[in-house]
Amino acid sequence: MLRTRVIPCLQLVNESLVKTVQFGKYGYIGDPINTVRIFNELEVDELCFLDIRATLEKRQPNFAILHQIANECFMPLSYGGGIRDAETARQILSIGFEKIVINTAAFANPALISEIASHSGAQSVIASIDVKKNLWGKYQVYSHDGTQKEYVDAVTWAVELERLGAGELLVTSMNREGTYTGYDTDMLRSISEVVNIPVIANGGAGSVQHIENAIRDGKASAVALGSMVVYQKKGMGVLVNFPDRVELEKTLAQ
Amino acid sequence: MGINKITIVNYGMGNLGSIVNMFKRIGIETQVCDNAGGVAKAQKILLPGVGAFDAAMSRITAIEGMMEILDQKVLVEKIPLLGICLGMQLLTDGSEEGQLPGLGYIPGGTIRFPVSDELKVPHMGWNLIEEVNPNPLTKDLPEEPRFYFVHSYYVQVTNPYHRMATTNYGFDFDSVIQRDNLFGAQFHPEKSHKFGMKLLENFARL
Amino acid sequence: MEHNGIEKVNGKQICTRCIYDESVPSIRFDEKGVCNYCHMVDNLIEEYHTGKPEGDKTINELIEQIKKDGKGKQYDCIMGVSGGTDSSYMVYWALQHGLRPLAVHYDNTWNTAIATENIRKVLTKLKVDLFTHVINNKEADDIFKAFFIAGVPEIDASTDLALAETMYRAAAKYKVKYVLEGHSFIAEGISPLGKNYFDGKYIFSIHNKYGKLPMKTYPLMTFLKFIKWTALYRIKKIRPLWYIKYSKEDAKTFLEKEFGWQYYGGHHLENRMTSFFHSIYCPQKFNIDYRNNSLSASVRAGQMTREQAIEEYYNQPPYIEEELLSYFKKRLNLSDEEYDRIMNEPPKYWYQFPTYKKRFEQLRPFFYLLMKSNLVPRSFYMKYCFPVGH
Repeated sequence: MLRTRVIPCLQLVNESLVKTVQFGKYGYIGDPINTVRIFNELEVDELCFLDIRATLEKRQPNFAILHQIANECFMPLSYGGGIRDAETARQILSIGFEKIVINTAAFANPALISEIASHSGAQSVIASIDVKKNLWGKYQVYSHDGTQKEYVDAVTWAVELERLGAGELLVTSMNREGTYTGYDTDMLRSISEVVNIPVIANGGAGSVQHIENAIRDGKASAVALGSMVVYQKKGMGVLVNFPDRVELEKTLAQ
Repeated sequence: MGINKITIVNYGMGNLGSIVNMFKRIGIETQVCDNAGGVAKAQKILLPGVGAFDAAMSRITAIEGMMEILDQKVLVEKIPLLGICLGMQLLTDGSEEGQLPGLGYIPGGTIRFPVSDELKVPHMGWNLIEEVNPNPLTKDLPEEPRFYFVHSYYVQVTNPYHRMATTNYGFDFDSVIQRDNLFGAQFHPEKSHKFGMKLLENFARL
Repeated sequence: MEHNGIEKVNGKQICTRCIYDESVPSIRFDEKGVCNYCHMVDNLIEEYHTGKPEGDKTINELIEQIKKDGKGKQYDCIMGVSGGTDSSYMVYWALQHGLRPLAVHYDNTWNTAIATENIRKVLTKLKVDLFTHVINNKEADDIFKAFFIAGVPEIDASTDLALAETMYRAAAKYKVKYVLEGHSFIAEGISPLGKNYFDGKYIFSIHNKYGKLPMKTYPLMTFLKFIKWTALYRIKKIRPLWYIKYSKEDAKTFLEKEFGWQYYGGHHLENRMTSFFHSIYCPQKFNIDYRNNSLSASVRAGQMTREQAIEEYYNQPPYIEEELLSYFKKRLNLSDEEYDRIMNEPPKYWYQFPTYKKRFEQLRPFFYLLMKSNLVPRSFYMKYCFPVGH
């Protein structure tokens, strides 16, 4: 059995599935429901949906689509994007999502995380951090889909999010996203070493080897895959896929 | 008995959409019921559940005639009933989580997982099950059967003959139980793709 | 029953060789009761030497030419893939003959999981690269809905044209001169020249009149683009199945064994819009059941008896995937009432909207030359450049 969680992380813009590169422009991937059906066929263990523009576009989560997604999925689900209050979080959990993801809302309203965690349990809250490495090698945190610099560094913010009650951290490297060059294992390790909650690595995966590096060097507990699961390979066409399970188990068995 | 419609009891706790969908996917008809009248006509019952023990028992007892009809169907007519997750815990005598008695159909208790540094509570994630007694529910499951678990309490049946499968989380706890026509699964088959599908299919074909 | 070789089914004359009946547009029967479509297939087989040594020789020469023109390039040919039998088998066939194809797919976002999985299984095992164009799913729905509201038969035309445009774009990007298509007149029959028609202007007109969202991600093939790809870039279209021996049944069995490929239960049913078109839209709104195309083809190829085909076509309704209709209504945001109302409205046809048809007819000599150089398929020339009686 695969002990390490390998989680396809799909980007939604309202009702369309897309994929960005380095938090920039996006290309279309397809219809969300049809894509979920394929992941059902591929028997992935878990799925994560992020509506990357909900906060920027001042939208609420699209409940109609989320209902359909929850009904179609035969595996556990997380959702993030535009969740600003506990009631919305509760609603999303009740329609069949196992976890919700909070990013931008945590800056304006840190108590939100504690509120959701105390009602629905810490394990239902994933706090998401988008990190850009600047020219001086510092890891700066951004909000609003990577458009607004928050004046705090990644490690400090991660510790704070754990203190507020998040059950897990989703840490995304803005520089690496969509590049197939591997996760930023230095950044991951610097965070994993100071928190006790699981860290999910995100941004940059291009191969099973990269996944192993994130666990071994980055000390991540789980990994998220983006471009790797929606494109055939770097630079080629859209083709939903998942790494070969046997290869994954072998590589991660150590 | 053959394949018949599955009556899913809706007492307001638990995401039924995925359950309905998974049955649909394997070609089994379902009917969601929130009243005793609907359950009276049931040929097979599925009892779902997500959330707190007492909240669930209160809601079920609050539905007029529900407790009586459940006793009738399960103890007298002996039609098959499968409890999932919290639904399985409800089949026991009671839980450390709450004050109210359970349905008591399978003697045993529901106990809180011990808190430890290594093993976090709730037990959340995929885990393997090991069949300890042959039973129709876990028959012919794909190799290395694993399911998705999310729970802070575990069940311990009084009679070892009711223990069908166990799962290890620091120690072995009961993950599948059975007493005659009553079944319980601690995990979420509707979130365990092909493994869940086979298990639900086995239940449907009883 | 009557004499003189005239056979009837349900009061209509039916071909004595295939199963087309007199309601098929432009059909004629000879003195033996054999229809002109059977003769067309015979003529094509004779002309292309399909499945005979001369046919193999021609295709092998074409293959050598493709390889030669592809030297030094990343790929030497483009192949459209859909997850279906013919296109999946063609990729295998291409590799067997030493070609280096780039597979191309246009995703209208209505694919079944089986189709996408089939593409993945075949291309992964054969190590063939894939180029795709995915339209914004909401835009796709808007275009489909426009066609549905318009009440014209060609509800899936946007997909067909977009695939052609996507293949040309891929060819241009990688400087490839050949597009290989999996069309087989033997396996699919000859589409009757009749009421269906599409081109870029038609699609634009329908969407312009009945659509709501701007056309941003849909790859529209305008007339100029078409001329650019054919006359300027000189990208040729080759149809190997017109030359070689090919059995769809054998191909299916082979694909299943070799790649774990799965059959999706019916001709063209790998995409839900195509399914809707074949199983519901055409039979119910236009009283046309296109199963006679592939069934007649199977009969002509000896893969099915005429009696079996007649039984299946005239006595059994088309197979409709469960929930196909509810999926259609949900995607296009149609209530039951709206759907029923639109379905019951009288049909409209392509000649009631602006199209490029006249232009194609006026430029017939030009397209004749393009056809002679394999730059446009022969079937295109016949269908587009001649007036159609309506």
